[in-house]
Amino acid sequence: MTIDLDGRGTRSLTPGEVLLEVENLSVDFDTRHGRLRAVDGVSWRVRAGETLAILGESGSGKSVSVQALTGILEMPPGRIVSGTARYRGDDLIAMEARSRRRVVGDRITMVFQDSLSALNPVQTVGRQIAECFEVHRGLSRREAMRRAAEMLDRVRIPAARQRVKDYPHEFSGGMRQRVMLAMALALDPDVLIADEPTTALDVTVQAQVLELIADLQTDRQMGVVLITHDIGVVADVADTVVVMYAGHVVERAAARELLDHPVHPYTEGLLGSIPSADLKGHDLPTIPGTPPSLRTVPSGCAFRTRCPLTVAECASAVPPLIPVGPGRETACIRRTSEVPGVTIPHSRLAAGGA
Amino acid sequence: MIRFALRRILAAIPIGLLVTLGVFALVFAMPGDPLRELAGDKPVPPSVLAAERAQFHLDRPLLVQYGLYLKDIVTGHFGETFDGRDIGEQLRLRIPVTVKLALLANAFQFTAGMLFGSYAGFRRNGAVDRLLMLATLFVLAVPFLVLAFAAQYLFGVQLKWFPVSGTADGFPMSYLLPAMVIGLLSFAGLARVLRTSIVETVNSDFVKTARAKGIGEQRVLWRHILPNALLPVITFIGIDLAGIFAGAVLTESIFNLPGLGQFLFQAIQLKEGGVVVLLSTLAFISFIVINLIVDLLYGVLDPRVRSG
Repeated sequence: MTIDLDGRGTRSLTPGEVLLEVENLSVDFDTRHGRLRAVDGVSWRVRAGETLAILGESGSGKSVSVQALTGILEMPPGRIVSGTARYRGDDLIAMEARSRRRVVGDRITMVFQDSLSALNPVQTVGRQIAECFEVHRGLSRREAMRRAAEMLDRVRIPAARQRVKDYPHEFSGGMRQRVMLAMALALDPDVLIADEPTTALDVTVQAQVLELIADLQTDRQMGVVLITHDIGVVADVADTVVVMYAGHVVERAAARELLDHPVHPYTEGLLGSIPSADLKGHDLPTIPGTPPSLRTVPSGCAFRTRCPLTVAECASAVPPLIPVGPGRETACIRRTSEVPGVTIPHSRLAAGGA
Repeated sequence: MIRFALRRILAAIPIGLLVTLGVFALVFAMPGDPLRELAGDKPVPPSVLAAERAQFHLDRPLLVQYGLYLKDIVTGHFGETFDGRDIGEQLRLRIPVTVKLALLANAFQFTAGMLFGSYAGFRRNGAVDRLLMLATLFVLAVPFLVLAFAAQYLFGVQLKWFPVSGTADGFPMSYLLPAMVIGLLSFAGLARVLRTSIVETVNSDFVKTARAKGIGEQRVLWRHILPNALLPVITFIGIDLAGIFAGAVLTESIFNLPGLGQFLFQAIQLKEGGVVVLLSTLAFISFIVINLIVDLLYGVLDPRVRSG
């Protein structure tokens, strides 16, 4: 694959290089009920060639955090209270909108969950993909359209040359998600942020789309941030995982380690509630209660009201992330030392997976 | 596209017949003898009356009368009014009056509606937005008659900025005041439709996608927000344009503009069934044509309608 890129783009990515690093990001929302904290002190990083999964239920702040750092969050009512998001060293949050637009949409691109509502209904998919080339590369309309057709072909849409002239509603759900991908990958980004990219798709198509992302990722050491609530997806594609609960990161680990030996009681509960053949004839275990709304987040550890291990001290302070092993952290005062025997130093990535 | 248009026109014919027959039946059912009333206190010889009756088909049963009037319309023999004016000539004189009034009124309505609507939509809950809400309430609360007479008195009689009534000052001077009154009373509806549509579109996912693509705000506005936000406005404008005739009856009577609305009003007063059928047919045809144009336009602008 050779797509000529001007300036920044031609810098090739070194495997393992940190592409996007979010530190201590906090986002508030001004509502009628006062100010609510949707994201509280979140940090994560994604390296070249790595897939980072942000795992959490709806309302855990996972989408809000990426929307805030890419500048597409509606502000107000949203408001970034603190934090930095460095793309190869430059802080996106401190940047002016004009300079940020040169990064977001070009070097960092996004894919959204519901492709039907995420595509402009009255523009052909070709125009929408071509727009990236026109705005960021200054290509002519005709040339941009030709590239758009190439992109559709690259995401394996049959008869791409004809289909560039079709409108979003004329595609099936899976094909439409490919169109979204074609648009996001058109400029060969360094980081792809995929916000629940497969949630609206059936399992087969879901697998195809994930596979497609993985294939295109290996082409050029792209970093992928995958926002999901689906542990199955995490197991399939993620290298590292950040688990979020009520706006906090509660656990961070390599995907394999997390799935084999969850440390935080919340992660444990999530993994325990996956249906499996062993559970045949038994009720599926669930985490008691429901996630708190932002208005009623419990004091101290937000998970304590649903946690089987809770003790009095859990209510006193928000537990900090504590290292519980190499490259792994958990925010639980009850699980500081008892790391079940996992000592594999780093993720599949470090083992030469990418 | 052509098939669609033809189908719509064919479907409109039976509806048009029913509507005009209904209007005619209402005129027919009005009490009194139109010709005798026209004659006033003058004694009219029975032979003259009978001849007049025959001329205007008044001696025939309802359905036959209706059929004859329809035949006149289709063949283009409009004939004369009861007081001897040539109806074809009347149409030629009156249609431009109504069209001018309608265009000017709509120009006011669209300009104000688009300006206020888009401003309120992009500055939600701002001063203009709140003012617009108030204006809508005002418009709903104040009847057209009250506003029309008030404007006529204030700007025509007292301030003498505009002529009180009639078309002596020609276009556009004679039409300005009535057009502004109509515009004032109808712009708020358009503005609210546009405002709601913009608010919805601005918050939609594809606008977020457009921003995530790193394209400038101007481009987001013109390429992504407006083409979608204006779709419901087209429907609104279509319905609104189609209702012009109904509004013309009142406006032209108050401001004494010799247009079709005034003609219809006079014809109803005189129980001139033939003229009423002719004018309601005209109104119906313009309604159908405008709606058809709006539907076709919608199909051009919204691909989802086209393939649906």
